[in-house]
Amino acid sequence: MCGIFGYNGGIKAPGIVLEGLRRLEYRGYDSFGIATLGDKIRVRKQQGRIPETGYETGNLAGSIAIGHTRWATHGIPDHRNAHPHLDCGGKIAIVHNGIIENYLALKQELTGKGHRFQSDTDSEVIAHLLEEVYDRDLLTSLTTVLPRLEGSYAILAIAQGDSRIIAARHRSPLVLGIGDRAMFAASDMAPILEHTRRVMVLEDGDIATFTPESVEIFHDGRKVRRPEEIIEWSVEDVRKGGFSHYMLKEIYEQPAVFSDAIRSLRKEEVPLVFSESGQVTIVACGTSYHAAMVFRYLLEEHCHVPARVELASEFRYYPPPLSGLVIGISQSGETADTIMALEMATLQGSPTLAIVNVVGSSLSRIADATLSMRAGPEISVAATKSFIAELAVFLHLIDVMKSGSLGPHLDHAHQAMEEALLIDLGNAVTCCRAAKDIFFVGRGPYYPLALEGALKMKEISYIHAEGYAAGEIKHGPFALLSPETPMVAICAPGETYAVMTSNIREMKARGTPLIILGEQGDRDLEELADVFIPLPEAGSIAGLLSATVILQLLAYHTADALGRDIDRPRNLAKSVTVE
Amino acid sequence: MRPLTKNRPKALIPVANSPIIDYSIRALVATGIREIIVVVGYRKEHVIRYLNRCEFPIQVVEQKNQLGTGDALKCAEPLVREDFLVLPGDNYIDAASLAKIKDEKNAVLVQDHPYPSNFGVVITKKGEVTEIIEKPEHAPSFTVSTGIFSLSKDFFTVLKGTELTDAVNEMIARGGHLKAVSTGAWQDAVYPWDLLALNKKTVGGIDPVKSGTIDRTAVIRGAVRIGRGAHIGPFAVVHGPAVIGENARIGSHCTIGPSVSIGDRVTVEPFTLLEDSLLMDDSSIGSHSRVVEAVIGEGSALMDHTTVTPGTPFMEIEGTVIRGRFGCIIGDQVRSEPHCIYQGAIVGNNTRIRGGKMITGLDAAQDGVVVV
Repeated sequence: MCGIFGYNGGIKAPGIVLEGLRRLEYRGYDSFGIATLGDKIRVRKQQGRIPETGYETGNLAGSIAIGHTRWATHGIPDHRNAHPHLDCGGKIAIVHNGIIENYLALKQELTGKGHRFQSDTDSEVIAHLLEEVYDRDLLTSLTTVLPRLEGSYAILAIAQGDSRIIAARHRSPLVLGIGDRAMFAASDMAPILEHTRRVMVLEDGDIATFTPESVEIFHDGRKVRRPEEIIEWSVEDVRKGGFSHYMLKEIYEQPAVFSDAIRSLRKEEVPLVFSESGQVTIVACGTSYHAAMVFRYLLEEHCHVPARVELASEFRYYPPPLSGLVIGISQSGETADTIMALEMATLQGSPTLAIVNVVGSSLSRIADATLSMRAGPEISVAATKSFIAELAVFLHLIDVMKSGSLGPHLDHAHQAMEEALLIDLGNAVTCCRAAKDIFFVGRGPYYPLALEGALKMKEISYIHAEGYAAGEIKHGPFALLSPETPMVAICAPGETYAVMTSNIREMKARGTPLIILGEQGDRDLEELADVFIPLPEAGSIAGLLSATVILQLLAYHTADALGRDIDRPRNLAKSVTVE
Repeated sequence: MRPLTKNRPKALIPVANSPIIDYSIRALVATGIREIIVVVGYRKEHVIRYLNRCEFPIQVVEQKNQLGTGDALKCAEPLVREDFLVLPGDNYIDAASLAKIKDEKNAVLVQDHPYPSNFGVVITKKGEVTEIIEKPEHAPSFTVSTGIFSLSKDFFTVLKGTELTDAVNEMIARGGHLKAVSTGAWQDAVYPWDLLALNKKTVGGIDPVKSGTIDRTAVIRGAVRIGRGAHIGPFAVVHGPAVIGENARIGSHCTIGPSVSIGDRVTVEPFTLLEDSLLMDDSSIGSHSRVVEAVIGEGSALMDHTTVTPGTPFMEIEGTVIRGRFGCIIGDQVRSEPHCIYQGAIVGNNTRIRGGKMITGLDAAQDGVVVV
């Protein structure tokens, strides 16, 4: 997914496009760029997010501008691959959202005709194709070129000497905005609504040209009209798509995130560094650290490979006689501690692997190899879908080591998450919202889930929550248990079941309100529990995922009941880029 | 519609691999309507998540308590700026029918129905509606309201109660006109077996597309849509119209269709016959089975040698005794062991059926039970 934005209407064009791109950052943020059309075409682009302040639009000048914010698919996210792309002569500029499926064939053909490509992207072929047929009418050129493109696109194009922006779409979204002597085009309404409420949605196969005063739309060579609409909702509504919070939206995206991640991981080779390693060390912070702990349990159980999991911030204080692979894992790929830890591992001569959501982020640049978790942009500060995507990556790695024996479980694991989304947590929320302290316990791979459940609870509801390995409760925390301290226990069938239930009985004796996640129809647990939550696919790998979803939702609904600012919890930032 | 509506609102039940609401939205878009407001309530997050996947933005309004259709419309009032169409999100309608009423000031789409007592029965005089009688015991005519209206903005002045029909009658009583426009395209699903008819209708309208891998000995006849990554095994025969979802696997020597929808990641093992059926995502049917007129919920597995054959059981549902003809309606995540027979059977969600059982009527209709 990428975002595109175009503006035709006045001298402030570069600034307006820059602001518009900021609104589209949720569609991707690994590089951005702007092209302006004045006396000639000028381009400025760079890697990374749009800076909060201090970005100079520099030499950009003109009343027409197009911009792009990128989420890399073809070619790493760097300055070269950032849009806009130019033709060889620098007289035509384009931005593109979508995927040109036949770009390799087109690129070969164009290279044969002497075109020089500056990037590894699929999009650049469009600029060169236009150059090939351009004869001072960009509309005709684009009309000629489009039938040659296979795949999906929303394109904005400008050419020197033409005072129009030409737009085209096919299976990628594109919306036009009609302002006062100014016209806009964007991937969605978010950046347009600041300027005008009058919009037109283009249809597949439409080509539009716009000047500050007028819009013309063509379809199959005929001029057509598209209805104009007045939009009365806010920019925030557009992006959250009807959900009350980004966090809830992202929780609901998880089944799809998991399946998509598994499917696309299967299409690529596992990095050599992983398949050759005999021992694994994983460094991570926060939620990623918990995902890594789950990995450790599963890796040692299924593959008998010894694994160490370290907090990235503590890693450097260990005297490191490192051997084997070091994996750094971070959603943003910019977590300062994780970067430092991986740099240190590199200095020791260890092979390194980065697992990140943002392709081309700092972490992936210093590692020998990178795996992308493909969760899509995560906006909510409290990580949810990136945790599930990290588990997808780890489970895939184990599946590869086990020569595919986990495969069928992974294919259907998303169903357990779907089921978890249907569970009513009303009683559990009533129990939690009144508490000052909440404990989360589990054993085996459920222990890191207890930690993650507690982390979600404290970060968004501000209720003090602690996760423990159930066996540790007796070594101290037991002193804190009382009828005022609810306990959330994950107790699935399997190796840990018997001892978990005896732990739970001991807690029950302290009068602690018990919220238990267990297998549906488990009469013993139902009797013990004050609130029993049936865990879909309890006891299997899918059960780990469904338990995660339930704990996330418990934190979410508790925070919501308390009226917290869920997407922007106090004192927290999305990625921690300082030590 | 239980067991299928426990885990999803009726509007999201898939027929021909698209949720029912998708057909209404597509019909609206094809009629040239771009401003669409969806009132959500039951399982709203699922509806919102689905709507977010749509190509263009759809506005969402929440109805806090599901009081009635009139109340639902009232929730959308602040967003309605001009004359508008109102339609239920869980019925099927086509663009041509919507086009007939779109430019009328006040109109309702009506259709003849063999069981009018389940609907609002429409009394007309010279093409104008004089009254709509909601679910009468003795219906004075076979013409029923589809619940699809074209209304003017000032309709909201009569919209007081919770039911849309009451407000429409009130409008007529005050001297307002409501034109009755008939259609033949509308289809509602009141009982779960009505989905079979809805499935037949929607599968009949698909565009054939062949993706995936099809063994060269397999035979594909008629309009068949096969999704990406799907696999059709040797000597399988698919009679259109039929839809096969992404990454589905059809074993060798299977006979599929006509009027079959198969969801994503569904497995049909070898030597199985499927006819006039709807299999939702992630479900599976074992080898050597014969499955006719079946609706199978998400993730359910019927093991080998299963027989599903149409029956016409009498059933008491919500106090009334009714009779429908169907093979089986099976909820989500059901496990059924080998050699079971289903005849006119409704099976609840998360139910387990031990091997060799014969199930009819409401024998296993409760959720989460084990039938031994």
